[in-house]
Amino acid sequence: MSSAMDDRSRLMLPADHPLFRVRPLALGAGAIGLAVSLAGALIDTTQFFQSYLFGFLFWFGIAMGSLALLMIYHVTGGAWGSVIRRSLESAVRTIPVLAVLFIPVVVGLQSLYEWADAAKVAHDPLLQHKSVYLNVPFFIGRAVLYFVVWTLLAVFLSRWSEAQENGEPRAIGWLENLSRGGLVALGLTFTFAAVDWAMSLEPHWYSTLYGVLVMGGCLLSAMAFMIQVTALLTKNGPLSGVVQPMQFHDLGKLMFAFVMLWAYFSLSQLLIIWSGNLPEETPWYLKRMSGGWEYLGLCLILFHFALPFVILLSRDIKRNARLIATVALFILCVRVLEVYWLITPAFSPHHARVHWLDVTAWLGVGGVWLWAFTGGLRGRALIVWNDPSLPAAGGHA
Amino acid sequence: MSAPARDLGPIIGPGHTFETVTDKIAAVVLSETRKGWMLGFGISFVLLTIFLQCVAVLFVRGIGIWGINIPVGWGFDIINFVWWIGIGHAGTLISAILLLFRQTWRTSINRFAEAMTLFAVACAGLYPILHLGRPWLFYWLLPYPNAMGMWPNFRSPLMWDVFAVSTYATVSALFWFVGLIPDLATLRDRSTSKVGRIIYGILAMGWRGSARHWNRYETAYLLLAGLSTPLVVSVHSVVSFDFAVGIIPGWHATIFPPYFVAGAIYAGFAMVLTLTIPLRRYYGLEDFITMRHINYMARVMLATGLVVAYGYMMEIFMAWYSGNPYESFMVKNRLTGPYKTLYAALILTNVIIPQLLWFQRVRTNIPLLFAVAMSINVGMWLERYVIIVVSLHRDFLPSSWGMYAGTIFDYGTFIGTIGLFLTLLFLFIRLLPMISIFEMRTLLPEAKVKEKHA
Repeated sequence: MSSAMDDRSRLMLPADHPLFRVRPLALGAGAIGLAVSLAGALIDTTQFFQSYLFGFLFWFGIAMGSLALLMIYHVTGGAWGSVIRRSLESAVRTIPVLAVLFIPVVVGLQSLYEWADAAKVAHDPLLQHKSVYLNVPFFIGRAVLYFVVWTLLAVFLSRWSEAQENGEPRAIGWLENLSRGGLVALGLTFTFAAVDWAMSLEPHWYSTLYGVLVMGGCLLSAMAFMIQVTALLTKNGPLSGVVQPMQFHDLGKLMFAFVMLWAYFSLSQLLIIWSGNLPEETPWYLKRMSGGWEYLGLCLILFHFALPFVILLSRDIKRNARLIATVALFILCVRVLEVYWLITPAFSPHHARVHWLDVTAWLGVGGVWLWAFTGGLRGRALIVWNDPSLPAAGGHA
Repeated sequence: MSAPARDLGPIIGPGHTFETVTDKIAAVVLSETRKGWMLGFGISFVLLTIFLQCVAVLFVRGIGIWGINIPVGWGFDIINFVWWIGIGHAGTLISAILLLFRQTWRTSINRFAEAMTLFAVACAGLYPILHLGRPWLFYWLLPYPNAMGMWPNFRSPLMWDVFAVSTYATVSALFWFVGLIPDLATLRDRSTSKVGRIIYGILAMGWRGSARHWNRYETAYLLLAGLSTPLVVSVHSVVSFDFAVGIIPGWHATIFPPYFVAGAIYAGFAMVLTLTIPLRRYYGLEDFITMRHINYMARVMLATGLVVAYGYMMEIFMAWYSGNPYESFMVKNRLTGPYKTLYAALILTNVIIPQLLWFQRVRTNIPLLFAVAMSINVGMWLERYVIIVVSLHRDFLPSSWGMYAGTIFDYGTFIGTIGLFLTLLFLFIRLLPMISIFEMRTLLPEAKVKEKHA
């Protein structure tokens, strides 16, 4: 028993691990970023909200992708999930923090969303039609509902995971059943959150694929982030020797799959809208294909799809922790561009631009989020002690 | 899917050795023909003759014998094309994607599912060709330099279909055949008839089972799996483009590609279950296709079925949200128009009944599961009927509205392709090992040589 305890503590993250040492730094960067952004709000309130929404949605996407991956793991099992499970749980536990970070979006509804502006709605029959759904109280009510659902999922996924760690044999079954229903609930809530928060920035436009497309991007963000974290924990942390090239290979394959999935969804939407060429659908792309935005779009084709696709074909790269982590970091950077391309042209159509507030708001939300994320890694063995697929995580070939 | 929660039983029954596995599977091919097989093959062949009769009449009289007319220019032919090609997708998913993700449970069903893919694609491929009107000129579909100076329209998804489906058929056939080679050699060695030895010998391509053969085999198989994987998604996406790139409400929806792919896998697994449940019983293969396989397949069906239901929901929500009167009319017409019974039946068979799969008791109750799979087979056919016919029959101009119903030739051709499918399947079961013998042997406790590919 005592040797078991030793093993368990060896799998914990030591207090002097780089991930913990950057915590104060992250919090500092977050605080400064948010403070500077708030100061910027005094100069240009509208710009502040626009930049903030972009920053929020990027980090929010990692947490949402992690929630989806964690529940997929509980339903399907697999060695890939055993090694990133703790990091996924940490990311999921940031959801209450994200709920707090969402408050500025609510405050800025009137400057962000056309449909929240009564004067504009009065002259727009289409917005009047949609006002049954797109109105301020209902929007806020839905956002509260989404966060309640996600927080409940996060709470029980964490609680029962701890129960499993403490030897409760039924916990695995609880987690599995919760995740089955949870995936359905997430699918629905996330879709409508994507419609509410991002798609309704351009309230005349619609696409049935939108929720799926955004979820595909979130899965990629989450997987890239997890590979990065796992590589850090393996390089000079408790997972060294535990996470084998095999596991990086699996994670890399999944990241590869998500790269292709994102490209597949993006191409499907583009091709269908382009060929239909309907005036109610094309403006979304027209805004994003002129005034400089087209170069960003081209960047996405090249660096969000083509380059990672070619690189990730290589088996050797996927099995090398350092190389796959580099690719993951690169993908995370391109993910930032993709979220920017999704959001910002709604505010600045036909005219590409970057505002310094975009940077500070992104940093601000990100710093706080990373601080919350790393906090979740404290005091827990990084590999689930009595996970039944653990032998697979150790030596499965 | 090494499901963490419950022990679902083994993926191979207890007490088997290399020899019993080989005996049991090869016996289906090498023993005397059984009466039940003759009966099944006979019925299938009768159905196939219905197909031949319908096609003969079609060639003589033209496609006027079908129910299609303006405004419904696409009817049974396209419904059945999409239905059949969707069914094929489960085979490719099982053989390629599950292989890449090292899901060993695929082993006992992959051969069979791949054969099903090939036969389903064959049935599917017939329909567009029959629909051509002058099917003997089918090669005009291909882009080749010709004296007429005419090229197919490269912007048309119907053109992409030609490439997608022919690639699919080719790669699936290759994949299936390469996977068969070691087993063909086993049959060659075990066959007691001279003709059998010669035919299986030729097909085995000189396989002797040396280490070098196995090494090359593993590489080739893995590469083919990699090539097949995109096909799981691409083929049905292109099929969905047949509809989605047009601007007809009910067809023009960006969610179509992933939603069609999910529907294809859904339908495919339903068909695999429909076929394996009676087969494993009749040939006593319960030790190889265990409850665990059945349970996993039911879970895949549930998951993909939920994606399909999500697609229905998004179509309805966005039709309202768009504020587009044509879109909302399309939904209203589906729900309350002249075909509303079909739509209700679609929701019942494809969305409501499959929710039973949430329960472990249903997933392990063979008769009930069979009934659910049949319900999905019907539901996926109704889905294509609703998408194609109901979207077309009332278009933008009320003066050109009309109704559609299949004629006896439409139904005859459909039943006929079921006959073609079953006939090919019965021949396959009788002539080739329906479960991969050598891969099953790797699952035995004796074979602790783990597959190490990637």
